[in-house]
This record gives sequence, C-alpha cells and structure tokens, in this order.
Amino acid sequence: MSFSGPTNYRRESAKAIRDKPEVRDSVTAATRTFDAHRVHAWGQIDADRWRDWARDVKTHVLTHLDQYLEQAERQLTSNGTRVHWAESADDALTILGEIVREHGVESAVKAKSMLSEELGVNRHLEGLGVHVRETDLGEYIIQLLDEPPSHIVGPAIHRSVDDCRKLFHERLGTPLDADPDELATAARDALRAEFLAADLGISGGNFLAADSGTIALIENEGNIRLSTSLPRVHVAFVGIEKLVPRLEDVSAFLQLTSRAATGQPIGNFVSLIQGPRRSDEVDGPEEVHVVLVDNGRTRLLADEAAWEALRCVRCGACLNICPVYRQTGGHPYGWTYSGPIGAIIAPGMLGLEEALPLPHASSLCGACVDVCPVRIPIPELLVHWREKAVEQGLTPKVETVGLKAYTKMAQRPGLFSAAGAVLRHVPLGLGGRALPVLGGWMQERSAPKSSAKSFLQMWKEGIE
Amino acid sequence: MRVSVFATCLCNQFYADACADMVRLLRHLGIDVEVPEGQTCCGQPAYNSGQPEEAQSMAEHTLKVFADAEYVVLPSGSCAGMMRCFYPGLVGSDLRVASLVERTYELSQFLRTVLEVDSLGSGLQGRRVAYHHGCHALRELGVKDEPVALLAGCGAEVVPWEADEECCGFGGLFSAKLPEASAAMADRKIDTLPDVDFVTSADGGCLLQLTGRAQKRGTGTAFVHLASALWRGVAE
Amino acid sequence: MTARERILGRVREALRERDPVEHPGAFEGWRPRTPRSPVDGLVHLLEAAGGEVVHQPNLDAATSWLATFCGGFDSSAVGESVPAALRPPIPTASPDIAPLGVSVARGAVAETGSLIMDARDGRRAQLLVPTHVVFLRVEHVYATLREALLDMADDLPSAIGLHSGPSKSADIGQILVKGVHGPGRLVAVLIGGDE
Repeated sequence: MSFSGPTNYRRESAKAIRDKPEVRDSVTAATRTFDAHRVHAWGQIDADRWRDWARDVKTHVLTHLDQYLEQAERQLTSNGTRVHWAESADDALTILGEIVREHGVESAVKAKSMLSEELGVNRHLEGLGVHVRETDLGEYIIQLLDEPPSHIVGPAIHRSVDDCRKLFHERLGTPLDADPDELATAARDALRAEFLAADLGISGGNFLAADSGTIALIENEGNIRLSTSLPRVHVAFVGIEKLVPRLEDVSAFLQLTSRAATGQPIGNFVSLIQGPRRSDEVDGPEEVHVVLVDNGRTRLLADEAAWEALRCVRCGACLNICPVYRQTGGHPYGWTYSGPIGAIIAPGMLGLEEALPLPHASSLCGACVDVCPVRIPIPELLVHWREKAVEQGLTPKVETVGLKAYTKMAQRPGLFSAAGAVLRHVPLGLGGRALPVLGGWMQERSAPKSSAKSFLQMWKEGIE
Repeated sequence: MRVSVFATCLCNQFYADACADMVRLLRHLGIDVEVPEGQTCCGQPAYNSGQPEEAQSMAEHTLKVFADAEYVVLPSGSCAGMMRCFYPGLVGSDLRVASLVERTYELSQFLRTVLEVDSLGSGLQGRRVAYHHGCHALRELGVKDEPVALLAGCGAEVVPWEADEECCGFGGLFSAKLPEASAAMADRKIDTLPDVDFVTSADGGCLLQLTGRAQKRGTGTAFVHLASALWRGVAE
Repeated sequence: MTARERILGRVREALRERDPVEHPGAFEGWRPRTPRSPVDGLVHLLEAAGGEVVHQPNLDAATSWLATFCGGFDSSAVGESVPAALRPPIPTASPDIAPLGVSVARGAVAETGSLIMDARDGRRAQLLVPTHVVFLRVEHVYATLREALLDMADDLPSAIGLHSGPSKSADIGQILVKGVHGPGRLVAVLIGGDE
C-alpha cells in the first residue's frame, strides 16, 4: 500500500481520529518520549549555538549548491564510486533498474531511507522481479503490514506491541504472548538469512561530504552497516540537499541530528562510506553507486521563502512536538514526509494545488520552530504557502471574500460593532451549522456563547 | 499612568465580562483606563489565512486608533503577539510602529513587567487552578511565569498539568477548517486535566475552544478568563 | 542536455538572485561544562549507551583477560588487524556463525562514546557476531569527533564504522530491545594508561 497524496488530508485525519483511537495513543506516547529525550540531550550542550552553526552551514551549502554538487561528484568518482543524476523518481528508478539488470540482482536488502519511500523503490524492484526486504525493524514491521511509514525516525510508531505480537505470530510463528525481545530475535533470524543472500544493498544518506565524498548514515540497529557492507553492490539514494562542505562538518551534524531525533549523543552505529572495497580490504561491496536525486528539490530551492526548508536533516523533532501530528500520526498527510516539515516541503516539491491541505494542517502554535535543529522558520513558511494559495486563487472563495469583507468592516468601527451585535443575537446553536465557517466549529463543539452585551457597549454604559 | 485597553474582536463579543474585569483590575491598581473608540480587530485572522494586505489594513487601522496610547494592554496573548511580532513586518518598522509595539502588552505581562505586581489579594485562597498557556503568549511573547505567579499571588494553587503548554487546537480558522483534528487536540487537553476548581488562560480564543469542546462532551469543567480570575483574586 | 546539466542549471537559476551565505567556520562543540578527561568521557558514554567497558593496564593483562572471557565461547571471528597477543585461544570461525567477534579499534571518540572501526579490519567480524569485543589503546582516544575525522582524513578506508553501543531498537511499541541486527553485546577493552 502506498500513499495517495495529501489532497484528502481532512477526510483521512478525521477517519484516523474516529476509527483508530489507538493510533493516537501510540503516536502521542512515542512522540512525547522522543521529545523528552531531545530536551534532555539538548540540555547537555549549548544547543542554541549548535543550531545557529548548523543553520549557517546548511544555508551556506544551499547558496553554493551547484559548486558543492560538482565537488562531491569529482570526489566520489575519484573514490571509485559511480555517480548518477536523477531529475525525477522515474529517472532514479530507471538508474536502479539498469544496475539490477547489469548485476543480475535477485534479492535486495534495504536500509531505512525516506528518499527511497519517496521514490517508490520497493514497488519498482518487485515489478522487476527482485525480492526486496526492509531491514530496519520498524520498516520490516510495516513492510509485512503493507503500510507506508508514519514517522521519519520511527516508521511504525503508530503500531502497538500487541499489533506486532499478532503480526509476528502470523508471519514468523512466534507465540501470541511473545515479549519484544523474542519478537526482535525472530526478526533478526529471519532477516539474517536475507542479508547473507542479498546481491544488492540500498540505503539513503544522511549527509554527503563534498570534500571527501563520504556518505554518512546514522542508525541504532546495525542494519545500515550490514546493508552497505555485505551485498556486492551498494546503491545510495541521496537528495541533492544532503551536501555538507567538509567531512569535519559531518562530525557536528551527526551529533546534532542524533540529539534532536532520539536524544542520543550519536546513533549507536554510524557509517562513513568512502567507496567500494579496496584491494587491502577483505570485505565490503565491489561497487558503490550514489544517485543524486532532485525530484522537486530544485523547484523548492527556487521558492523565495520556502527554500530554507531544504536545510532539514530529517530528525523528526517537529513531528514529535506537533500537536496536530500527535492526533493522527503520519498517514493522513498522504505522502512520505508528514508533520510540520512535510507540510512546508510538499507545496514546493509536489506543487501547491496537490499539497494545499497541508499548510493548513497547523494551528500555528509555533512549537516546531523552537525544536528545529537547523532553525527552519516553519510557521512563517506555513503562512507563506497560505498566501501563495490565496494569490493563485486556490483558497475557497467563501474564505477570501469573507475575510475581505471582514477587513472592510474592521476599518468602519460602526459597521463592525453593528455586525457584532447581529452575531451576538443569532441563535448559533440552531443556525450555526449552516454558516460556512461555523459549520466546522459546530460539528465538534457546542455553540460559542456570546456575551449579552459587547464590552464596547458596556464601556459606553459605564463599568462599575 | 494611562492604559488604553484593546478588547480585541473576540473578547469584545465573547468575553465582554472579562474585559470589564480587566478594567476593574487596572483601576484598582490606580491606572487611568481608557478604551479608544474605533478599535476592531488586530488583523490576525487575515494574516494567518495568507491575506497580508487585509492584515496590513487592519494593522494600519489599529495603529491609528492607538496612536496616542501610553500603554496598550490586551486580554489576549495571541493578539498582543500579532502586534508585537508581525506588525513591523506588515507595516514597516518605522518609529511609529516600533514605539507602539514596545508599548503593547498582554495583561499578565503588563502587570508583572511594567507594574511589577506581586500579589493582588487573597481571593483565590484554597482554589485549585489549572493554567493553559496560549501558544502565542508562550512562544511569541515569552509569557510563561507571569500568569502563574499572579494566580499564586492571589492564593491559588496552580496545579501541574501535563499538557499545559500544548496547543488547545483553536488556531482561528484552523478550528473550522480541520474541526476533527482541532477537537482531538482539545480532547488531549481535557483528558489530561487534573482535578481543579477552574481552568484559566490569557487567551479568549483558547477558552472558547476548550469551553465549546468540554460542553459538547458534557464535562462540567469551568473555564474562566485570566482577567476575571485575577479580579476574583482581588475582590473576594 | 543530460540530467546532470539540467539539475545544475535549475540550481543555478534558483540561486541567481539569492545572497550567498558564508560558512560559519569550524564547529567548536560548545558545551556548558568542560568535559571530563577523554578516557573517562568515553567510558561514561559507552556504558550509558549499554556497552561494557573493561580496563587493562597493559597488553599482557589484556591477553589473560581475553583467555578468561573466551571461556564462554566455542569459536570466534577475528579482525585482520588483531595482533597475535589478542587473538582468542579458541577455534576461529567465519563471522556469520561465530558467537564472538574480536576487533581492534583504530581509535575512539570521547564526546560521542564511539569506537572507530576501520574497514581494513574486516567489516563482517564487526557486524555479524552477537558479541563484539573491541580492543583499544587509551592513547588513541580523541576528545572530539571533529579531531578524529581531521586526523584520519588522509588515510580513509572504504568505510569507517562508529560503534557507540550495542545494536538496539525501540521499534516494537517503544520498548528497548538489544541485538537486533548488529552485536547485542559490545565490550570495549581499553589497554594502557596505568603502566
């Protein structure tokens, strides 16, 4: 099962809240835990200075992106890595297909990669007859369930232990009351055989250092190290925004991302990959391919405000703190990247019309900007996309015309208070549902109770 | 000292009594209170909906109405945040705007930082109170300790609340555009509420949302605007 | 035009009117407190992450520690750079079946609690075994990851692994489990310092 696009966000979020209250419980508990770990980990460092530095490095890279891409390509090539450029998901999948054909790949192991989700790698490989296995435990769970990931860092946080017990009982034969250790052991055993048999390992890339051509990957399970070490061919899909100038800069990004994502000083395993196995090495892949992917990123880069969102390091901190995300998890957002970051990159990458519900999927509470390790001004960018939607005539007329009328009134205080008086005397409980804005309000809440007199009226009459 | 009250469009309609209590409270503290005629809306609904021109018109209007104010005080952290954080971007950061923005305060912020009030009275002695931090008061204005200190200063026990800094789900038009998610957010607030005599907040919008949802669900929780709570703190 | 040219062209077009921002300079690792000594910092973080740390004053002591430790294992996979004195006195097996792996770390990082594993030592013995013993000379502990990366920059193998704890996951209902794919038990043996 894959995503159907953000268009139906309201319907899907309402459905999730109504039909799957357990998802809300799992997601709220998991994100609160993630966030508490972040708070603790940031307390140990001068987080404000780290974040300023990281923001500036990323902004520097983005404003010199062509130069760094060329430098990275040169360095990767001299390391013996093959570099490919993909303008779109189709391009990326075609490149992958050629590698599969050239090497007669029959089975592939996949390390967790949001970009590979975005591209639809699994479905494509299956179509080519390649057996593809997700190896991150969370990704493995949702692959067995035929679901897309619901969180950037914890793809299966919408699922409870009981869900996993049932699933593993059916698929791996573990007892129905197995504890998480037994479940993990069963998964390890099942996946170990696949690791050893796979011809191809697929990964993403958290960072790509231009000066050394190093692909950096963070994880906790060891499956990324295995996926990039055991099979004879390794393909890394890397978004063009993942560039970092120097390997020494990667040192800080690995730590800041880990602290923001899971509250660790660093993930328990980090891979720094310079290329294929060398003559003085006993193992490692014979070929390493890096596919530099655009797929909407240059379009986002061209936006005069939202390009800042390309600083994102995919830590998930903004999802964890987001009160809207917590109610539903990631699935209703309808595409790979959910939560606040998904809402601001979707219009740039997919097009505004396609993504439009998402910039409205926020109360503008501002919690996200306070936790972003690279200081992306998320609420401002949500408002930016709302403005663009109005400019392009994509916002419902009732809203834009209504607000224009409201503005006119607001500049004529007499009219404004007269309208207020009418509003106060409308029995909202009866007629409210028929009004365009109040309809949404009345569906979930009791009618707002107007004061008997407006304050301005009370003031005129005198306040004791 | 002279204070110009900006009641805000929402509190003027829905929390008129709280605005009146704010007037009483300020007068009680020896302030000369005025309510400039012609005040309407700060422009936040238009701004958040992506209509900056409309927001700018309302900002211009508000600037004109409050041009002569010594201080502008609002019973709303959200509208005060709109003026302080976004007016300069909308209207330009000329002297006129900069000085108005500097003189604009949410009520509890004004009481603590300008008037340096510690205790208003003992009217809330023995009352258990939960405080909801409106997002914009908290994150745009940095108002966090002020309302809690004032409530405690009136004798109230401000009870810890797991979700006190989480958004209530109002978000202006958000509450009508995505009512299900918005209501679920209010539910999270309501479901985690400790046992209290009442819930209070510096924001009318949040109170409207929480009250509406609590009533729909039939929970008997009482929600009181901070201005009224503090006036009770003085008066009882 | 190739995809490469079109992508670079769009990047340049997007950046045409954008003000370039300078690189802010070296990352200084700002921390509110001075960190403890590098070795103490390493030990603290490795243990906090679920790793085990053993300290042996010299090579001889490490050799005899290993002999005792190996008593519980019937075979081991051994890294390419492990010196004779640190090869376990038990049969050797391939990493995919050995219950124990023994490696030598190229160095370690105090600020992250990481052991630096070089691909030239052999990756499989570092990854496939359930228990991983890693020897480390205390003088090879870097204070910061940046220092370590700068120092290694001229001699990088195909891959470096930073191992900072056992393999773990919380993907099943947010409950922590160890040994999901990589070694579930990581034992760092620090050699030297007390001689």
